[in-house]
Amino acid sequence: MIYPAPVHPISAEVRVPTPILDLSLPRPDEQKKPRPSEKPAGRRGRNLDAVTAAAFLTPGMLAFALFVILPAVGGLVLTFFQWDLFGTPKWVGLANVSRLFGDADMWHALGVTALFVLMGVVPTILIGFVLAVLVNTKMPGVGVVRVFYFAPMIASAAVSALIWVNLYNSTGLVNQVLAWAGISGPNWLSDLTWARPALVVMMIWSGLPLVIILYLAGLQRVSEDIYAAAALDGASKWRQIWSMTWPNVWGTTLLIAVLETVGFVSGSFEVALIMTDGGPLGTTQSLALYAYKVAFSERDIGYASALSLFQLVLMMAVVLLVRVIVRFRKERS
Amino acid sequence: MVGALAMATPLLFMVSSSLKSGAEVNAFPPKLLPETPIWQNFVEAWRYLTPQVIANTFIFSLGIIGLQLLLALPAAFALAKIPFKWSAAVLAVLVVPMFVPGNLTLIPLFVITFQLGWLNTYAGLIVPMAGQCAFAILLFRQFFASLPAGLIEAARIDGAGWGRVLTSIALPLARPALATFCSISFLTAWNMYIWPQVIAPNPANRVINVALAPLAGGQNSTVSPAVGLAGGVIAMLPVLVVFIVFQKWYLRGVVGTGLE
Repeated sequence: MIYPAPVHPISAEVRVPTPILDLSLPRPDEQKKPRPSEKPAGRRGRNLDAVTAAAFLTPGMLAFALFVILPAVGGLVLTFFQWDLFGTPKWVGLANVSRLFGDADMWHALGVTALFVLMGVVPTILIGFVLAVLVNTKMPGVGVVRVFYFAPMIASAAVSALIWVNLYNSTGLVNQVLAWAGISGPNWLSDLTWARPALVVMMIWSGLPLVIILYLAGLQRVSEDIYAAAALDGASKWRQIWSMTWPNVWGTTLLIAVLETVGFVSGSFEVALIMTDGGPLGTTQSLALYAYKVAFSERDIGYASALSLFQLVLMMAVVLLVRVIVRFRKERS
Repeated sequence: MVGALAMATPLLFMVSSSLKSGAEVNAFPPKLLPETPIWQNFVEAWRYLTPQVIANTFIFSLGIIGLQLLLALPAAFALAKIPFKWSAAVLAVLVVPMFVPGNLTLIPLFVITFQLGWLNTYAGLIVPMAGQCAFAILLFRQFFASLPAGLIEAARIDGAGWGRVLTSIALPLARPALATFCSISFLTAWNMYIWPQVIAPNPANRVINVALAPLAGGQNSTVSPAVGLAGGVIAMLPVLVVFIVFQKWYLRGVVGTGLE
């Protein structure tokens, strides 16, 4: 919802493909060097520069402080209050936080979130990698194929939901195809067993374009010489892909793993909200959707903030875990 | 090829079904083209969505882009080219919130907008989203930093103020960065759902995705699925045009930053 989408702490260690966005800060010693324009201007010029810079920065930084920093801090503060948005907020200390652990709905939503991640992330990575390898050739017409690959990226959550609801209908295209093969399919989105996998398949579809783009960028950095050498040694195409291409894009894979985990934890709740509203019987109600409902249906702002905070802590844990894995691999090699 | 088809099938399904009759949508084997295209579906979808909703969506998306440019361009220029003490600190602050996914700050952001009395207003839709300008500032800063120092210096010695340097030297050169930013920003804003849904659910203030979402819930039986899918096609047309025209810049921005 809020762009930019998250860049992750880990991306500093994982090589991000050709950054046009250089997030590195100037080093201290570079800072001290007098810049060319400072020399003729002297002290007064420098003061004037600082005033101009402040004037240029003020509008942007004010908006940033009000709509980015304040909400971030506000989420933390609201956790300590009980509030329905209209009355006076009431200080309740850590009550909202301790309520988390005794809340059966929360544990259920946490389980759903974990299942989304488990069912979604690995297939997205594998399919994305295979499709990227397939499309990373110089055969004629590959440009058109790529445009088809990227198509899901421009469909919004609402448009995707609209399409897939019709596909998953009891008489929809998916079931028509199954019927042709002699299988009678369920009404996917209202089936207790199948609603979750059906949503995950759709989320994989929406997530793939980004994964393919990132892998394509990663693949283009792998030198072609090593393939020529491997071909001389008689390595088969499969062997080349699994023992050379795959390890060479390992950094990209880690970055994608983190992005997709965050995506399946938090980004995908829009489609669940639109298509199933968390149902049937809460089987598609993830943590993010639960927090949304607590906030906007039950108007329990404090507890919803606690739920969001808990999600943030969980995601930080995942990022830290990946960082540890990266460090571990570095030390071994 | 098979992969490309699998990825594109749902969208092709939408486009071809938008011209079919209700019964034909679910027919098997699915026909790529309907027997007789029913253009009436689009007329009904247009009537259902209303021109007001489409105008709202344009105001929302273009408003965010315009306001972000106003906020981000001077700030980015100051960070890249004007020497002052605190630039490193400002940059560090800008980077930090990029680690927090948007829906985690949704509730406090809603509370702030609610307290400002901006529910069901254009201000409520646009200003808080335009305030998420860290990405724009960092993108433009990166571009301005790559401009040769001599160019700026020469203009300064000729007596141009910083404002003039920005508007008549840096900006005309910044077209690639502008193309990247505008295409990413337009696609993101046009496709937003949750924010406009919580801030402006009123029929008069809705954006197109908020108007479409009820059709995907499956409960709205008054509108035929084919009409709903025609609405989806209408919702996708502007982003499709922007994507095709700006494809190169858009993908460059996405890849370069590792963002989505």
